[in-house]
Amino acid sequence: MRSLRRLLLLFSKEWRELTVSRAYWLLLLAVGPLVGHGFINAVNLYAEASGVGGGPAALPQGLTPLDGLLAPTFGAYDLAVTLLFPFVAIRLIAAEKESGALKLGLQLPFGVGEMVAAKLLALAAGWLVAWLPGLIAMAMWRAYGGHLYAPETLNLLLGHWLRMILSAGVAIAAAALAESAASAAIVTLGFTIGTWALDFIAAGRGGWLAAVAAYTPAAALRFFERGLLRLSVVIVMSVMALGGLAIAAIWLHTGRKLGARLLRTAVLLGLISVAVWLGSLSRASWDASENRRNSFPRADEAALRQIHEPLRVTIYLAAEDPRLMDYERGVLNKLRRILPRLEVDYAAQSRTGLFEGAEERYGEIWYELGGRKVMNRSTTEPIVVEQLYQLAGITAPANSDGPVFPGYPLAAHPKGASLVFYALWPLAVSSVWSLARYRRR
Amino acid sequence: MNLLTVNGLSKKFGARAVLQDVSFSVRRSEVLGLIGPNGSGKTTLFECLAGVLPSDGGVISRNKQALAPAQRKSALFYMPDGVTPWAQQSVNWALGFFERLYAAPIKAAELLNMLKLESLRNARIGSLSKGERKRLLLALGLLTPQPLLMLDEPFDGLDLRQTRDVMALLRSQAELGRTLMLSIHQLIDAARVCDRLILLSDGRVVGEGTIDELRAQANLSDGGAPEAGLEEIFLALT
Repeated sequence: MRSLRRLLLLFSKEWRELTVSRAYWLLLLAVGPLVGHGFINAVNLYAEASGVGGGPAALPQGLTPLDGLLAPTFGAYDLAVTLLFPFVAIRLIAAEKESGALKLGLQLPFGVGEMVAAKLLALAAGWLVAWLPGLIAMAMWRAYGGHLYAPETLNLLLGHWLRMILSAGVAIAAAALAESAASAAIVTLGFTIGTWALDFIAAGRGGWLAAVAAYTPAAALRFFERGLLRLSVVIVMSVMALGGLAIAAIWLHTGRKLGARLLRTAVLLGLISVAVWLGSLSRASWDASENRRNSFPRADEAALRQIHEPLRVTIYLAAEDPRLMDYERGVLNKLRRILPRLEVDYAAQSRTGLFEGAEERYGEIWYELGGRKVMNRSTTEPIVVEQLYQLAGITAPANSDGPVFPGYPLAAHPKGASLVFYALWPLAVSSVWSLARYRRR
Repeated sequence: MNLLTVNGLSKKFGARAVLQDVSFSVRRSEVLGLIGPNGSGKTTLFECLAGVLPSDGGVISRNKQALAPAQRKSALFYMPDGVTPWAQQSVNWALGFFERLYAAPIKAAELLNMLKLESLRNARIGSLSKGERKRLLLALGLLTPQPLLMLDEPFDGLDLRQTRDVMALLRSQAELGRTLMLSIHQLIDAARVCDRLILLSDGRVVGEGTIDELRAQANLSDGGAPEAGLEEIFLALT
């Protein structure tokens, strides 16, 4: 009980340190207009697509709040967590190192791990406050008559939550390792730019590089934005974040010899690598989207699950070929979810497909199952599924259409949103900030 | 009765040896002064003892049992010099934090009064003058429960009256059973407040004991300077 009280005291200290940080209040100030901008644009575009003012409307099946509203509105948090949040996290560590508070902190009746955990909890609590504009946007959307599907909404929130934890882990580790806040900021930005570069390069190369790039923060978030909850992504993001925090705990313990800290870091990096690799092997995933965009129709899924032998797919399409992108999204991602023994071989030699060799195989997709091989050039879902039925000797289900996603058109205006996000939110944040500063005097 | 024994403590920064085979003992309820010129290794010694800096060798023991760095926080507390912890927080908050954390026998309100910090209770720590900050750090140190409190330059930045008041407060704490180890560069202050002294020069202990014992170690008792003060002793031993 006493130790719990002490931990609460430690958390309250970290919370106070967070709320005296100018960087945190600037984050709060910025996040309202950023979310507001995303929300207002999203509502207007959604209204246009829904045929506002008698204009031509898109097919209702294409109108889903996950794509049309939630992803663009919460996209503001991706920006904030990439460019603003790391500075808030860095300050929590760097200020203690630079002011000498760390020397006192190390002697207080807490472990370094507890200190780092308390900082993470304070950051998480602070991030929850920063989510208020996003939650207000969702409430306003509902008030306009908009639809929200709880599983895909919660899944998206989970993605953004993990994104924040990962960002905190990287920033805290950088702050613990670097001499100053400025150096830590450079390291953190370097990490971010490095992951962007990896994303960019992988988009043109495919193969193992693309498999690694699937776990960069931006790419990982895209799974959640598509309504897909992949266990491997959750594990890898969590392990990376916790690894960052553990590295911070090692390096903040200034009483340990450099050699001991280096050894612990090396062992930890080894453990992180193994955990990440094991995590990436996990094929478990859940389709949280209401329109089941990440799944085959239920009848097809049930039929394809009868395939127990390894299915090998050899693709002669270059990484930049749009057909490969269609095939990945429309077929492979769905197959991966239901066929645990699926092996994919990206056999094209070039990046663009324009300069492939004279094998004349470019464009072919080969399927191999139980010693039988068949080739098909189609990247279209129904044709590929039909091909797999033939290859596996399975009778296609009689009706594989399933219930049709109705879509949720809404021709609403973002009434009151400008006032809330561009005026009331900044005013409220400024007022609370001033009040907090006044009370501290 | 020794509270703590230090044997063969050493520390290098690169090729430079900052502490070399440092050995001494700390007795219960004494005020032990650590004196030495700038760069003699006083702060490094404190940081190694507190476990916030790793030492390269040596043993620190309590009751003849080696005290690992992780166990030191239960035996001693070190208050560094020149730090401004939690600069954006108020004096009141910092004192309250330590008071609640340790449930110390002495109350923060008493310390505010003793150290004349009442008018500053709502002031931001970062806005305090050097002397005010020094008194706050001293108050925080006194709120900790460890049997040994190590204070780095506790009188630095204090005026004459404040120095005398703080000396009286530290003496009263020692009488109540707390052991204090003070790093002091003003020899006159050290002679006034300390029961025993450790002289550190170039990272080595060159003398340990009461002023009379140090005088004897420096061979100044029998000769022509029977009333030799700490300055003469220090110069003779270093």
